[in-house]
Amino acid sequence: MSRGVRSGLFLVSAAGLTALLLWAVADLPDFGHYRGPYGKVLNSVAVGERHTTNVVAAVVFDYRGVDTMGEEFILFASVMGVALLLRNPHRERRQVPVRIQSDAVRLAGIGFAAGLLVLGLYVVAHGYLTPGGGFQGGVVLASAFVLVYLAGDYHAYRSMSPTPAIDVLGATGAGGYTVVGIVSLLLGSAFLHNFGPLGTTGKLASGGSIPFLNVASALEVSAAFVLLFSEFLDELVVRPKARSE
Amino acid sequence: MVLVPLVVAIPLVAAAALTAMGQFLGRRVDDLTGIAAAVATTVVSTMLLLRSLDHDLVYWFGGWRPRHGIALGIAFDVEPLSAGIAALAGALMTASFVFAWRYFDEVGTLFHVLMLVFLAAMNGFALSGDLFNMFVFFELMSVCAFALVGYAIEQRAPLQGAINFAVTNTVGALLLLFGIALVYGRTGALNLAQIGRALDGRPPDGLLVVAFALLLTGFLVKAGAVPFHFWLSDAYAAAPIPVCVVLSGVMSDLGLHAVARIYWPSFSGVFAADAGSLRAILVGSGVLTALVGGTMAFFQRDLKRLLAFVTIGHVGIFLAGIGLLTARALAGTTLYVLADGFVKGGLFLAVGILLRRARDGDELRLRGQGGVAPMAGVAFLLGGLGLAGLPPFGTFPGSALIIRSAGDVGYGWLPPLLAAASILTAGTVLRAGARIFLGLGDTDDPSLSHEPPAAEEEPAHVPGRVSPPLLFGPALALMVVGLGLAFTPGLAGRATQWAQRFEDRPAHTAELLRGVAPRPAGTPAFHPGAAPYVYGAISTVGAVGFAFFGLYRRRLPALLRRVPGRLTAGPAAQLKALHSGVVGDYVAWLTFGAAALGGLLALTVR
Repeated sequence: MSRGVRSGLFLVSAAGLTALLLWAVADLPDFGHYRGPYGKVLNSVAVGERHTTNVVAAVVFDYRGVDTMGEEFILFASVMGVALLLRNPHRERRQVPVRIQSDAVRLAGIGFAAGLLVLGLYVVAHGYLTPGGGFQGGVVLASAFVLVYLAGDYHAYRSMSPTPAIDVLGATGAGGYTVVGIVSLLLGSAFLHNFGPLGTTGKLASGGSIPFLNVASALEVSAAFVLLFSEFLDELVVRPKARSE
Repeated sequence: MVLVPLVVAIPLVAAAALTAMGQFLGRRVDDLTGIAAAVATTVVSTMLLLRSLDHDLVYWFGGWRPRHGIALGIAFDVEPLSAGIAALAGALMTASFVFAWRYFDEVGTLFHVLMLVFLAAMNGFALSGDLFNMFVFFELMSVCAFALVGYAIEQRAPLQGAINFAVTNTVGALLLLFGIALVYGRTGALNLAQIGRALDGRPPDGLLVVAFALLLTGFLVKAGAVPFHFWLSDAYAAAPIPVCVVLSGVMSDLGLHAVARIYWPSFSGVFAADAGSLRAILVGSGVLTALVGGTMAFFQRDLKRLLAFVTIGHVGIFLAGIGLLTARALAGTTLYVLADGFVKGGLFLAVGILLRRARDGDELRLRGQGGVAPMAGVAFLLGGLGLAGLPPFGTFPGSALIIRSAGDVGYGWLPPLLAAASILTAGTVLRAGARIFLGLGDTDDPSLSHEPPAAEEEPAHVPGRVSPPLLFGPALALMVVGLGLAFTPGLAGRATQWAQRFEDRPAHTAELLRGVAPRPAGTPAFHPGAAPYVYGAISTVGAVGFAFFGLYRRRLPALLRRVPGRLTAGPAAQLKALHSGVVGDYVAWLTFGAAALGGLLALTVR
């Protein structure tokens, strides 16, 4: 198709699709008038049944825990896919970007990295009490590593995140989530059925097996983002040797 | 019951363990782990199939059973048709792993990891009874498949195929997600049976029409129905053979199975009065897909691309089958999908053997070169006959059910068209087989696609000694299973009974949400009668004839050749030109298809 034909086909179709979507959205309940039973029921039972003050965590890690397992593996498979597509057996080192010379930047960077690390651990640990959790905390943790690269240099970043070790951590996180589910099976209940003591609502020691799942996703998410960053960074720093392009 | 989550958990745990440990162990550990996990998963799926013969296995993750009829958690709803497709996925994955043992000279752990996660995703997608959970597994299938298609990164075509695949399927997934959001906004439910119950008692309105169109679009993009199919031939032609086996054999069909899986529990009630128009739309696009796929297959000389278009052609047949919206046709389609999945898998493996032994995948260049791999020739012959629906083998019971069902709902014109489509696909496969293995036909055919296929294929390394049984063993095994499936006693009748259970919405809803076991139903006997045998014979003879037409077309008398040639040359060239490989074109067509589907539904649904 020529450019014009393609654009014409797309614009006419997109206009039609937009009209259809507007027609559909007009039939939705008004904003703030949620009608369905599902959210309401979960909101009313989650705290009592799961002893988690963050209902989202109860939904994500228990009521719909198997969704989260799938999502964790989406991230896992995406990173493995990136590693597969960016692999190159014939690589040579290029000039590594210059080390940052400013002491002020390095000091501030290290300070921020340490702060981010603590914040990440906090967000992970309190995931089922306050907004946050393994996914969000995992991303914060990974960004602490990125700061090391920004404020320090490539070698410091790479020595902090050796790919084989990060691979093991990520696989432990992703596989660990599934293993928690299998533990439930071995205990004679349904896959991912809670097996820990529920504890006191609002305390760190609560939520039964949710803390395990929470930590597993934090491991997987932080490892995934570090690996992803390493892969893209290597594309920048390490050039394929003879690529005919 | 404890088995249900294992179809997802086994491959996932194996994938994670391989990632953690595989880098420290040898290549054969990867192969063995892959094979062991795939075999175990296949066994579990088969056991689930056998245990769900009389009633669904409803598995609530986390033990969250519905309360007062409201689903709190996520359920896998295992019934024989879906479990059968999961078992097909496991079996094809096993064959792929065995084949990959000797096929790749160099392969990393990542290949095995992604294949295993892919298997878990397909199983989850096939069995899930929750709309959002289906989306999660849909996405998981996608990310694995995108990367696996692009496996051979040294070449351009795989990356291009993977990009076209990723872009179009991501747009499809976005529309699917939009549809899910609309459905949730209306019903406040994600469980399929719960959605169906929430929609009871009100006529369909704009929201439902559009939401259903968007869900259909998302699944049909994955299946590769016209006009959403363009990515499929680019991706399947470029993927490594072991990946093609799974993509073509089961992933495309999963998209269609999902249409049945959401329609019957969720939408069959609210659209009950519109079943006629919905049937016309689905069957119509199925027939279009079948004929486009079959025609395009005829014009290919690159064997993988040829089989990719064969896949599209058969997706069309299945879409028409599911679109008939009867229990008999659903049963027939599922049986057809199972047999056809094995046969297509075997054909892709046969092409893989040629790639490995003759270092080429081009029909014309390979003319008469098939002697290096005679077993691949046997697989080609069996595959061609299997695709044609030769009675009583392979796909015959499935197509017999579809043919009879078409008559039941007054679609008597459908069987001849479906027969024509299988003449096109099976005839083309037989043509390629005869040219390569028997040396028949001309050495050149200008009407076939001009683009020279990639000269080097993925095992472009030193040809090591290849142990033949590991290559042709899986190919022949798949063929035998695919063709032999038809001999299971009473299969057509039993499958119809399962499909009736699938489509009995009130009983199914009660079973899912209230735990009420359905009343045991008798097995209806199925006597195909004469018509399906006639169609089977016509399509087999037709396929052989069409193969010879493809081989010796240019030796026909001038009168017979020139006039039809002149008439068809223009449309054929235009059809070929539409498959441009430009991803922008594909997205434009996708948008057009989504709008057209929505528009048609909006005009016909009352």
